[in-house]
Amino acid sequence: MEMKNEAQATIGDYLWNGSGEPDPEIQRLEGVLGQFRHDRPAPVFPELVPSRRRMRWIPVFAAAAAAAVVVVTFLIAHEKKSAPVAVAGWSVSGVAGAPRVGNKTVGVNAGAGRLGVGQVLETDQQSRARLQAEQIGQIDVEPGTRLRLLSMGTGLKRIALDRGTIDAFIWSPPGEFVVDTPSAMTVDLGCAYTLQVDDAGDGVVRTSLGWVGFKLNGHESFIPAGAACKTRPKTGPGTPYFEDASPKFRNALTRFDFEDNTPQQRADDLAIVLAEARTHDALTLWHLLARVEDGQRVIVYDRLAKLAPPPAGVTKAGILRLDQPMLDLWWNQLGFDDISIWRHWEHAWAGTSAAALGK
Amino acid sequence: MASMSGDRVDLIAASLRHQSEPASEEAMLVEAAREGDRAAFGRLYDRYARMVHGILLARVPVRDVDDLVQDVFVMALRRLSTLRDTRSFGAWLAAIARNLANDHYRRLAPEDQLTEEASDTDNKADGENDAAAVLEVVRSLPDAYRETLILRLVEGMTGPEIAARTGLTHGSVRVNLHRGMQLLRAKLSPNPETEP
Repeated sequence: MEMKNEAQATIGDYLWNGSGEPDPEIQRLEGVLGQFRHDRPAPVFPELVPSRRRMRWIPVFAAAAAAAVVVVTFLIAHEKKSAPVAVAGWSVSGVAGAPRVGNKTVGVNAGAGRLGVGQVLETDQQSRARLQAEQIGQIDVEPGTRLRLLSMGTGLKRIALDRGTIDAFIWSPPGEFVVDTPSAMTVDLGCAYTLQVDDAGDGVVRTSLGWVGFKLNGHESFIPAGAACKTRPKTGPGTPYFEDASPKFRNALTRFDFEDNTPQQRADDLAIVLAEARTHDALTLWHLLARVEDGQRVIVYDRLAKLAPPPAGVTKAGILRLDQPMLDLWWNQLGFDDISIWRHWEHAWAGTSAAALGK
Repeated sequence: MASMSGDRVDLIAASLRHQSEPASEEAMLVEAAREGDRAAFGRLYDRYARMVHGILLARVPVRDVDDLVQDVFVMALRRLSTLRDTRSFGAWLAAIARNLANDHYRRLAPEDQLTEEASDTDNKADGENDAAAVLEVVRSLPDAYRETLILRLVEGMTGPEIAARTGLTHGSVRVNLHRGMQLLRAKLSPNPETEP
């Protein structure tokens, strides 16, 4: 496991600055694409006219210069006042029907509009829209959706999805783009995902590329590509699962997360989940370690250890007491992604945005 | 330890060299260029030509890139007096390059936008065809990824160098490289099951 992590790190270093173990595919691409590299010497540029000529201060010109400064300053100030003010937000374009920003319709062929902070975008059952922000990403807004832009700027970029469906493709750094829903906060840690919220506030996220974090009231779920995770108001994120898991597995998991009312029901459904789990479902079992009662943790540990043996440095005793570094070490062994990305950004939030988020 | 190729050594050396470059030196070059020092502007060209070339290559036909590189620098030279913060020369130059590329692309006939590289490849050797095909795949990625990947894979710039030249944060460049490579690997993979 350590060797695997080390390999991942060195491959990352090679892409970053050419150090570490070379990645053969990157080397091949460098070789193939190198023929397009810039190789021309500097051309002869035209003579420059210096922008500021050095001049002697002749007293007779001083008053005139001072007057000119006053006039220019006034003109600049006036010009600044009348110049259009850039508004932070996403560009909005209509894809179908008649999406609305506030009371204003965004026509399909009318060019891009703007969704500013505090504004609401709504699509009816016939409408679709696309949001784009160069430094953040692109969001396709499906019919029957209502979303609000909460913040932009250099820190956290937040929108609230009240209901409906969005397909997000995000390229801002991990952890910077957040979608609030009535039942969880969705944190982009990867590339592409679909988020649905129904009228009751129930939600589900499906990740198609990279991975996504779901968070509410201290509950965290990490959803890698190919996986999904449901959320419910008050309860928060459920346990993530791969959508190709057996229906028996998925139904038992949903009951365990949101419906079971008695310890016996939970025990029964947990037993089904453990029995139905495949190697790939280590994703689900890893999350369950922190969600089951203390007395049940050992059976989850045993099953997970059978499907994906813990790496060196991870002990049964450590996992049973929910030792975070050991849990993280085991997660990294599962091959979904390096959890340090999440920990890093979680730490960054703790200092900068948790209060603002009110979570 | 495996021996390193000359290109790799250059790449690492460039990374280390770049980290130690004083930012003020660049500001002095910009200031000198403003005063009419053509040698200073030539040094800025040497520093930034690959960045400009890469930004253009991500957006316009290959055959037009070299001419546009020169256009970008001539335009920058003429507008240098309007640059308020000499420390942001790189980001400012990158913006000029992107704008010029977008203008150029809009002026192209629709058939040129869609078919220029494809028709060019018909008359090339296999290696060149392969390169053109890979470049097309890179250029099909979202803006942020294709630009950063071209700067890294075509122009041979390091991540720190890309960040310093373009004005992007290290985090943004790192994530663009990482996610861009993920997408690129997926698109180049003959087996869809290996896609991330």
